[in-house]
Amino acid sequence: MSSDKRENPVLHIPKIENGFVFDHIPAGLGPRVLELLRSFPELSGAIVTVGLNYRSGKLGSKDLLKIEVDDLPESLLHLAALIGPGITIKKIGGFEVVRKYGLELPEAIENLARCRNPNCVTNTERHVGTRFDRVGGGSGYRCNYCERVFELRELELRLP
Amino acid sequence: MKRDLISLNDLSLETIQGYLALATQVESMPEADRRRLLAGKILAVLFYEPSTRTRLSFESAMYRLGGNVLGFSETGSTSVAKGESLADTIRTVEQYADIIVIRHPKEGTARLSAASCSIPVINAGDGTNQHPSQTLLDLYTIRKLFGRISGLRIAFAGDLKYSRTVHSLLQALGKFGGVRFEFVSPESLRMPSYLKDALAGTGCTFTETVDLAGSLAGCDLVYMTRIQKERFPDVLEYEKVKDAYCLDARLLKGVPEQLRILHPLPRVNEIATDVDSTVHAAYFPQVGNGVIMRQAILLDLLGVKP
Repeated sequence: MSSDKRENPVLHIPKIENGFVFDHIPAGLGPRVLELLRSFPELSGAIVTVGLNYRSGKLGSKDLLKIEVDDLPESLLHLAALIGPGITIKKIGGFEVVRKYGLELPEAIENLARCRNPNCVTNTERHVGTRFDRVGGGSGYRCNYCERVFELRELELRLP
Repeated sequence: MKRDLISLNDLSLETIQGYLALATQVESMPEADRRRLLAGKILAVLFYEPSTRTRLSFESAMYRLGGNVLGFSETGSTSVAKGESLADTIRTVEQYADIIVIRHPKEGTARLSAASCSIPVINAGDGTNQHPSQTLLDLYTIRKLFGRISGLRIAFAGDLKYSRTVHSLLQALGKFGGVRFEFVSPESLRMPSYLKDALAGTGCTFTETVDLAGSLAGCDLVYMTRIQKERFPDVLEYEKVKDAYCLDARLLKGVPEQLRILHPLPRVNEIATDVDSTVHAAYFPQVGNGVIMRQAILLDLLGVKP
């Protein structure tokens, strides 16, 4: 493999005419993004290409993923931000980038994560949703119920 | 829109001061006038775990305002024992009462209860999380004793690691600012770092020590706590520190006249009974202030002006 190909995933993974490119996925989290995509039934028939462990100037190494669909569910964008805050998503139309999505951490995470406190009422009562609010502008989130603060990486995401 | 009292984290300094002012007003009212304020109203007292003081205090507050009380103090004889969900219990009780006070061993229960009904809910303790009426009554007691909060020198002594009461009161005092704290505890029960860090920018300062006797002379107030056996993961660790502090009349010899001692009660060995008759003991009047503050809370949440 030429060094150009190693460093430029675009040369390695075929271009797509229409769809979305998930780039700058921290290496190792690509399968998690794939798992996320597969959890949406409306995306189940789409062609998906996954590349793992590409060299990246910014991240050292990264994963990359392309999916050939016309649209992505809104909730998927929020979930992708939760998997890796630095992930970028580009919409491709006619082989060109037509839109870039900046993924920022949401101020609140509703019904998408489980509280890690076993004594939290959300883990002991049936049919109770969860809500975590971002605190201090960082990646800490406070459970709306037990008020414990967790780092985002500590929260167990519930995929739809 | 209905209001609830769930967590000190929800309360601004202005709201806290509003409760203090309302409690002062309640205390100054003639008893006969007070007894008319909540006539015909019903308080539901839902206690999923034992508590004598808090439950009786809320019940007393409601009766003193002319209202009525129903509820349970253990779940054995209720539908809860049959597996009823909390939300269903709350929606049912909502049909019987005008306001709910709840204590539950699981954290977040009061918030969930408040979201499940359209009448006000008061948190009387949710696991290790919050017990806001205790904090409000402590603030009321401190302000009543000294006429102010900022500028005081306050020592917290005992279990500073696990005590929900201390953590909550410390956070509330931080909102007032300008308090000098002394944290007196065994090494293994020191105040958690996140709470000390949160004092940055509040104008409060703190020092830490293991020496209770040495702290007394420099303080206006000592807030004693029980070392709670049930919070220790290891009984041996509890045995090492259980009698770390015993405040008695001998230790209080020579301390400034104005020094006052508070304790959320129940006490075990940490305050000797010979302290009770000194001018410094303020923990039984503190219990009385609890009934006053809880009247203020009931009035406020039910939207009744005294």
